[in-house]
Amino acid sequence: MIGRDAALRTARRGGVVTVLALLGLAAIYVRALVFTPVERFQGPAQKIFYIHAPAAWAALVAFAITGILSLLYLFLKDRKLDLVAASSAEVGVAFGMVMLTTGPIWGKPIWGTWWTWDARLTSTLFIFLLFVGYLALRNAVTDPGTRAAYSAVIGIMALVLVPFIHVTVYWFRTLHPQPVLVKPSSPSLPGVMLVTLLLSIVVFTVLYVGFTMQRYALAVLRELKAEEVARAVS
Amino acid sequence: MQFPDNAGYMVAAYLVTAVIVLAYATSLFLRLRKHR
Repeated sequence: MIGRDAALRTARRGGVVTVLALLGLAAIYVRALVFTPVERFQGPAQKIFYIHAPAAWAALVAFAITGILSLLYLFLKDRKLDLVAASSAEVGVAFGMVMLTTGPIWGKPIWGTWWTWDARLTSTLFIFLLFVGYLALRNAVTDPGTRAAYSAVIGIMALVLVPFIHVTVYWFRTLHPQPVLVKPSSPSLPGVMLVTLLLSIVVFTVLYVGFTMQRYALAVLRELKAEEVARAVS
Repeated sequence: MQFPDNAGYMVAAYLVTAVIVLAYATSLFLRLRKHR
């Protein structure tokens, strides 16, 4: 694990990355709302796609990274891996909230319903709740080693779900649209819309990095303080 | 060209996203400040 000074440096750098990403997000709002054309059949609600899909991307990347780091933790027992995994999980839950609120807001005008219990939506809600449970578990277990091992198991279970969520739209009958970007054939979006989507994915990815750096620094500072208190008591 | 009248949903989604992202960024900032 890194020391206090390094954690504070990581927090500062993460803060800078986050501010840059937030400025990028503001630019995405302007580009999507003002300069990207309205889709003919779905109308203005289609523009929800430019924040919903990148938020879903960021959430699933966060969950996948948590899973991979959890797997590595069980082999290497490096506390740093556990803390980065937990940081990534919390950031993933934040992006998951964006994904799970903007999706139904798009679904109501386009599908005529806020929610449907099909494979894509249900599995997405399931992985989100799994990570809410992951965070609750981390708060409930006090011993760092036990906490890391238990949460690593949940992280690995969730990792299996990530590729499954991607293929649900192919394997099951679902209302959810098929991927427009991550698929074997070329992207099915006109140029201007595709550029807006790609830029938004970049901004959400940078935002994920900035948030995770800050959250990791916070986790390290908390651990150092807990160790300090334990030393003072003993 | 006539489009479906659903701009309210678009505005709601962009507002909700801004609120969640800014709330999380603020939460991180405040939690980190406590440990500095």
